[in-house]
Amino acid sequence: MGNKSRSYKAEKVIQGMGRKLNRQMVGSLLACVHCGNCTDSCHYVLANPGDPTYAPAYKADQVRRFFKRHYDWTGRVLPWWVKAKSLYTDEELEELKDTVFGKCTNCRRCTLNCPMGVDYATFNRMTRGLLVSVGIMPEGVAVVSKDQWEIGNQMGVLKEDYLETLEWLTEELQAEHGADYPGIPIDKMDTDVVYSINPREVKYDPRTISDAALIFNEAGENWTMPSEGWDMTNFGLFSGDDDLGGAVARRLYEKVAELRGKTLVISECGHGYRSTRCEGQNWAKWDINFEMESSVITMLRYIKEGRIKVDKSKNTEPVTFHDSCNNARSCGLFDEPRELLNLVCSDFREMYPNRSENYCCTGGGGAMSMSEYTPQRLKSAKIKADQLRATGATAVVTSCHNCVDGLTDLIKHYKLNMKVTQLVNLVANALVIEKEVAVPAEVVTAAAEGELAGYRILVADDEPDFVTYAATVLEDHGAVVLRAYDGDETLEIARREKPHLLTLDIKMPGKSGIEVFESIRNDPELKTMPICIITGKPELRKLIYERAVLPPEGYVDKPIDEERLLRNIKKILKPVHKDEEIESRK
Amino acid sequence: MSDFLHFSEHTLQEVALSFMALVYITRLIWLLHFAAGRERQAPTGSKDTNPTKGFIYSWANIAMPWAMESTRTKFFLYLQFVSFHLGVTAAIALSFVIPYAPSLLDSPALVILLQTIIGLAFIVGVMRIIRRVAGPYMRAISSPDDYFSLLLLTVWFAFAFLSVPNSTAGGEWHLIIYFILTAFFLAYVPFSKISHYLYYPFTRYYLGKTMGRRGVYPVRRIPRSDTTRTVQ
Ligand code: SF4
Ligand code: SF4
Repeated sequence: MGNKSRSYKAEKVIQGMGRKLNRQMVGSLLACVHCGNCTDSCHYVLANPGDPTYAPAYKADQVRRFFKRHYDWTGRVLPWWVKAKSLYTDEELEELKDTVFGKCTNCRRCTLNCPMGVDYATFNRMTRGLLVSVGIMPEGVAVVSKDQWEIGNQMGVLKEDYLETLEWLTEELQAEHGADYPGIPIDKMDTDVVYSINPREVKYDPRTISDAALIFNEAGENWTMPSEGWDMTNFGLFSGDDDLGGAVARRLYEKVAELRGKTLVISECGHGYRSTRCEGQNWAKWDINFEMESSVITMLRYIKEGRIKVDKSKNTEPVTFHDSCNNARSCGLFDEPRELLNLVCSDFREMYPNRSENYCCTGGGGAMSMSEYTPQRLKSAKIKADQLRATGATAVVTSCHNCVDGLTDLIKHYKLNMKVTQLVNLVANALVIEKEVAVPAEVVTAAAEGELAGYRILVADDEPDFVTYAATVLEDHGAVVLRAYDGDETLEIARREKPHLLTLDIKMPGKSGIEVFESIRNDPELKTMPICIITGKPELRKLIYERAVLPPEGYVDKPIDEERLLRNIKKILKPVHKDEEIESRK
Repeated sequence: MSDFLHFSEHTLQEVALSFMALVYITRLIWLLHFAAGRERQAPTGSKDTNPTKGFIYSWANIAMPWAMESTRTKFFLYLQFVSFHLGVTAAIALSFVIPYAPSLLDSPALVILLQTIIGLAFIVGVMRIIRRVAGPYMRAISSPDDYFSLLLLTVWFAFAFLSVPNSTAGGEWHLIIYFILTAFFLAYVPFSKISHYLYYPFTRYYLGKTMGRRGVYPVRRIPRSDTTRTVQ
């Protein structure tokens, strides 16, 4: 070893390990007897038969070998005897990166199956942190970490966008439940609940926020959302960077302390819950003085305390539950979601194995941000796909946003006929709301009669029933409705008629809604045409918003009723066409 | 009894044991000099469990083959594990019985019992060697120390088996080899994977404490038998 030169980064990694080792970690690095008992517990192994490089002990040995070489006497004295080997080059570090980021989701399933109690996932995370400290990491990890360091949340959502979304959701809630409806309070002091969320909710899934708001308000909760420090996710868990982990957790804890909130409620997210509720205080070295709980526990509590009423007959679809690894294997959160599901759904089907024995969704450990490993991730997802298929359910519920993305991806890849949803959506749907809309619907309708006169609206959807329904509603309010049933026809009519607005389904024969959307946005003549996506696949939101073009003006989930359809259409048309169109449509 | 056999049974063992104790103490001091990670968070998960329950469950895990999927679904391997480790215990005990309480071996029942346990361990040792050499997964994770430790233990079982009657009627060579091997193991163990039993209480204690605090241990599961997948 002495004569061989070592790269600067390799030297840093070796030295860094010395600073990160604690007793638990050293025990795990020493105790493996290479019995192979953990091999079958890893989804990567099961999906790649014959390839031992996926075996947990094999992967662990890639870390263990330099631990032994530098920190354990057996490896110092007889390195070849115990397979101890140092690190010398940056290429070796790159190989190590592919193992610790690309072949393990830190799901901890092997840990729970090791007779010796070897916690590989923990020192795999430590190794990620060592590599990150010398700048060796997947591109996506670098980008997300940067966003979380600099912008304060892992999706780079700007404060004004966040606040605007909450305002818009408040408007929606008030339009639906009356002008006096409380909406979403921001930065309210001395509340019982401070609600923190995953930035994915702001960007791709705002319905989870409005559903949560509805539940808090119906429960009569004294609650608020913070204007800053609202991101409960923590990429430090995935990147192994304890400094980032501590800084992110501290940001959130400080905000709750500043608002003098009593309980920090963490929306449904496995890694967010684990980071904020459990690890964050260790990383930040901070003992907090308020309570923290998962929104799953909060919702269950509201039902048990009689603060909200639910009707399970409103959710009749067969559902199964996927346990997030972080929730189930690292936080013991597995009974409450099932209890809640049984209260809000009439057909819950257990998935096997489950709870702390469940398989990873394969999107864990930050895998969704590492596109270079997507093929092997999707291959390993076969195990989860088989599990899902065996339940016979048509919807999978999960209390984790990462799992939502991981499951959505694998469902698409393995062509399963399933959708992914969260408990907050099911609870909101099952809510029995006594005081409905403040203004009688007929009055609203009558008042709105003719409001769309002069507008040409193109309704594009492959479901003729939906087209007929939407067209009837819009025509009743004065609009001229054009109809298209596939992607090519949509583009053709859009180019020819240049409608004032296009309502667009995502899944259509021929060109998909996404392709149509992109074509319109890239067409110099059509690019400013307002588009409202109306889809039964809300989970595909990401596919639309990730395009490098202007986002759609609206995004509405099916099923949609008359009132919601009109509200969304009018919201888009008004600001866009107020000035330039008012004259021409008369 | 020849002087060499007497030396092998007594002086050699005592020196080897002292050496092992010294190395172990050094090893433990080294392990303990690493600070234990601290958990600041309030407990999560079921209120029925706590860190104490967690680590007791964790320690007892090895005696509960139903507790982990890996032992539950590979019960034959679990039986091999039990047999192998009982053999180790019996062969170690024998190294004290022969020099210090040889009269115990006047009991034919005890001789048969010890030979059965050690004989079974020997067979398991052979099976384990085959598994380690023949299985691609096992080969990939094995080091020279893994092969050597297993091979030597298996050979040791064979000589322990022959030494159980403590008879020199057919010569002393089997006893001499058994004691020399025992002494070698005592000196070699701290440097090899065989010292895992030294770490076991630590790893399982800390894992159990964490998992108990987080409501994961004791594991709760809904049993169903048709979910097993294996690649080995
Ligand atoms: S089960 Fe534990 S001891 Fe056995 S190979 Fe896996 S990590 Fe090592
Ligand atoms: S932590 Fe999960 S993904 Fe990583 S090796 Fe273990 S079982 Fe496989």
